[in-house]
Amino acid sequence: MFTNSRSTPFERIEYILILSALFLMVVVTAQPILHLVAVSFSDPAEVPGMSGLEVLPRGVSFDVWSLLIQNPNVQRGFLNAAIITAAGTVIAVLGTTLMAWALAQQRLPGRRIILLLVLVTVVFDPGIIPEFFVMKNIGLLNSYWSVILFRAVFAWYLIILIRLFEEVPSELLEAAELDGANPFQTLWYVIVPVAKSSIAMITLFYLVLNWNEFFRAMIYLNDPDKWPLQVVLRQFVVEGDKVGMVGLANVSANTDVNQISIRALKAGMITLTIAPLVLIYPLILKYFTKGTMSGAVKG
Amino acid sequence: MNQKFENLQQSFRRWWPFYVMLAPGLLFYLVYHYLPIWEARLAFQDVRIIPPNIWVGTKHFVALASSPVFLQVLMNTIVISAMKLVFIFPVPILVALLLNEVRSANYRKFVQSVIYLPHYLSWVVIAGITVATLSPSDGAVNEVIGLMGFDPIPFMTDTGSIRWVLVFSEMWRSAGWDSLIYFAAIVGISQELYEAAEMDGAGRWQKIWFVTIPGIAPTIATLFILNVGLFLSQGFDQVINLSNDVVRSHIDIVDTYVYRIGLQTGEFALATAAGLFKGVIGMILIISAHTISKRLTGKGVW
Repeated sequence: MFTNSRSTPFERIEYILILSALFLMVVVTAQPILHLVAVSFSDPAEVPGMSGLEVLPRGVSFDVWSLLIQNPNVQRGFLNAAIITAAGTVIAVLGTTLMAWALAQQRLPGRRIILLLVLVTVVFDPGIIPEFFVMKNIGLLNSYWSVILFRAVFAWYLIILIRLFEEVPSELLEAAELDGANPFQTLWYVIVPVAKSSIAMITLFYLVLNWNEFFRAMIYLNDPDKWPLQVVLRQFVVEGDKVGMVGLANVSANTDVNQISIRALKAGMITLTIAPLVLIYPLILKYFTKGTMSGAVKG
Repeated sequence: MNQKFENLQQSFRRWWPFYVMLAPGLLFYLVYHYLPIWEARLAFQDVRIIPPNIWVGTKHFVALASSPVFLQVLMNTIVISAMKLVFIFPVPILVALLLNEVRSANYRKFVQSVIYLPHYLSWVVIAGITVATLSPSDGAVNEVIGLMGFDPIPFMTDTGSIRWVLVFSEMWRSAGWDSLIYFAAIVGISQELYEAAEMDGAGRWQKIWFVTIPGIAPTIATLFILNVGLFLSQGFDQVINLSNDVVRSHIDIVDTYVYRIGLQTGEFALATAAGLFKGVIGMILIISAHTISKRLTGKGVW
């Protein structure tokens, strides 16, 4: 690291300061998360005395986690989130890819007007109330579909894909046409393999967006049994609704649940909601960083 | 006439598979974007239990203009957005410059992979983390304040601190990730420029000042303009999850106001008017941003 023969002692101190500044940033980013993970795995009796600076569990216990995993609200929340994320992502990736491939046809009649219509939606947002009434009028309120379809085609990802598809060498397309491929076959056998990593990137984008969606779920799904994990978490951590989380009996009575502090339960709930994202995070790093570095991503 | 019809037929025969591909996407845009625009006419109506609604023109907009609550909300939106722009915007640039100085690729990748993570967390999760970290009794920040010999600060319920909570939680979430776009721009700068600067005897800071910063100036300009263009549309998810009754009047922004009076209190028409007002101002801002950016750097927002 310090092999540069021309570097003076002053420059070495400078370099160490730069590395330290970045390390401080790593600590500030990771410490709050690690602390919550530590609290969730600590012995519940020790939690009330824990300092916010600690990042190692005090005594190891799975009490919080077993309680969370057995909680029917959490189970349903996880299942709902899985349904919404899976369906939402599959539909979004299919819808966006198909639309992008059609709009990548330079000579498609009506192409410009459709692109303009998409652009208008990026620029102008009439707000949430009109959208709410549309959902109500077409009978999607309290249906998973209202949340699943909400981001079916995200304009920025559509634009990214159109640009990528336009760059596919025309020789490849002509070869496919000579072989008698119809547009669907060309998309499937030529375009998708060429744009594989971009489509993977967009799939991951949609996965994250759908998993993190809470607002549409919160306003469109009245029935708590349909809430995804983010809304269950919000009800507990943001709204402070302990009753819905641990049950009325446990809030007042001196039961096992009450012995475990609310602080530990919240920490566990937050960790649980992050966990699936952390699992796919290595993939995200691989594809997103590559995509951004090649200039394919905006914003 | 016949010729025209034949052309149309031929065109259809050639293009119909692509229209089939477009259909689901177009249906989505119709339902989630264009029907709401049509539905936004509610802003000019009074809601009646038994339809149809009555047309009242600009009544609700006039009501908003004379409502002290709405004016406060508008002020909050502008102040919070300005604070974010001033205090957050330079940070990712600085981070990218520092990252570029790191000679060990492994250390750099380690730093990057940690600081990008918060960008992928929802605001519900970040609100949970923020509240825990800022807790007056056992939060990390107040522990540090205590170690320095000061009294703990109840950040979340302190009207003087809450806007800073918004600024710093947003910085925590996005400063790392946003540095990526600048870092990509830095990597794109020709190595020859650095070599030439070295020949002239430039040190670390001179190379940053005379080569790196001019090299990423167009990126900085584009992103600054884009940020100004999105001035009004920032922070709904954040504010809705970090707000509470004690501090609401200090951080209620237009989007949260629309949600609160519309979906919680049921003043649909007034809320629609407020949302539409924001939508139109936002549109003017973003189109201006795009035009200016295009003229200045040759690159627009889209």
